[in-house]
Amino acid sequence: MRPAPRGIRPMHEHTATAMGVQGCPVCTAVLPIGTPYCARCGTHGHTLERAGMTWNGSMQRTWAWLLTSVLLYLPANFLPIMYTRTWGNLRESTILGGVLTLWGHGSYPIAIVIFVASVLVPVGKIVILVWLCLSVQLRYKSARRYKTRLYRITEFVGRWSMVDVFVVGILVALIRLGNVMTILPGPAALAFAGMVFTTMLAAGSFDPRLLWVREA
Amino acid sequence: MGVTDFPAVHIACHECDLLVALPVLRPGQHAYCPRCNFLLTANRPDSQSKIFAYSIASLICLALANLFPFITLNARGMEQSVTLLGSVAILATEDHRLLAAVVFASIAVIPALLLCGLVYVSVAIRIGRELPGARTCLRWTIALAPWNMAEIFLIGILVSFIKIVSLADVELGLSFWAYALFTFGVVLVSLNFDRRELWDLLDAARAAGHSSHA
Repeated sequence: MRPAPRGIRPMHEHTATAMGVQGCPVCTAVLPIGTPYCARCGTHGHTLERAGMTWNGSMQRTWAWLLTSVLLYLPANFLPIMYTRTWGNLRESTILGGVLTLWGHGSYPIAIVIFVASVLVPVGKIVILVWLCLSVQLRYKSARRYKTRLYRITEFVGRWSMVDVFVVGILVALIRLGNVMTILPGPAALAFAGMVFTTMLAAGSFDPRLLWVREA
Repeated sequence: MGVTDFPAVHIACHECDLLVALPVLRPGQHAYCPRCNFLLTANRPDSQSKIFAYSIASLICLALANLFPFITLNARGMEQSVTLLGSVAILATEDHRLLAAVVFASIAVIPALLLCGLVYVSVAIRIGRELPGARTCLRWTIALAPWNMAEIFLIGILVSFIKIVSLADVELGLSFWAYALFTFGVVLVSLNFDRRELWDLLDAARAAGHSSHA
């Protein structure tokens, strides 16, 4: 990465809100706060209101999506993610069970990939977002740069959890050898996909600028 | 106060709301927010041409990925071969419609829409005229971007490949390689994607269109 050019300077340490303007989240145009409609890209409604921070629904939405994702994560872990049918025997496997089986078979890299994508990333994401929400609401002002970076990482890695859902999809589509071996998806697959989507929506609803508000 | 009071040289940081005066960036320079270090915008050399070229190339690869077998499985003399669309159809017909829809949308439909949108916007920029709906198109492209999961599917294929190898002989078909190239193209497009730059270019295209009509 290259360093920022020397010419970059903050406008007297002023935030856009303090200057009575807002950045359009879609096209980065600078607009007066309260503009109903971005003249440059045509964005309007909630998206712009959020950008002007006049809309205080960001926290509620984030909490709601977070709660939904936690509720979906429970069945995603406890219900089977896929069934394996061999000669009339039906075997269930859960996410953690699958990781342990892979580890037992010695496929350590794959076990680690699945563990990171299906357990570490979702749990870490939910914990980080809860912490960020709490620090906004309890007005913890410390380590803002660090928290903003955490938020950025959370937003970036969220999609990668879908790996496990895709693996189930591929196995179901591929392993259809009749009596010899057939793989069927379990209810946890959809619950897990729902969990990934709701954590992505939670991260998208959270407004990182709230971490930087001086006097809330 | 109008838009013109803060002309295009200013940008409000998307993540910490700091209002920043942007200098003219030389090719290869990146502008980070001085307060929170967010990447505000960048001047990537030839990024527009790259987006245009990689988008078309990826779309061709995606089309090719639908033509050949994706994976072939060989277990105890039984051979099974699936195509990309065929595997989605299997999921759908066996009553896993929602799963099929989620997978198909995130690995093919959304990335394809994204690339088509960028091709359309690029054409508008290149011919220097505002094509109908180009702005709506770019807006939707930006909204869809986080839901593209092509590269994640590629990792998913490799993981399932390793899972199956112990059970049966697996062979990656021609379509797999086409899909891998498609994914590579999508990643290259997203690396060259800068929303501010695209909107600036689209504005320039509109201005050029107006002046040529006048």
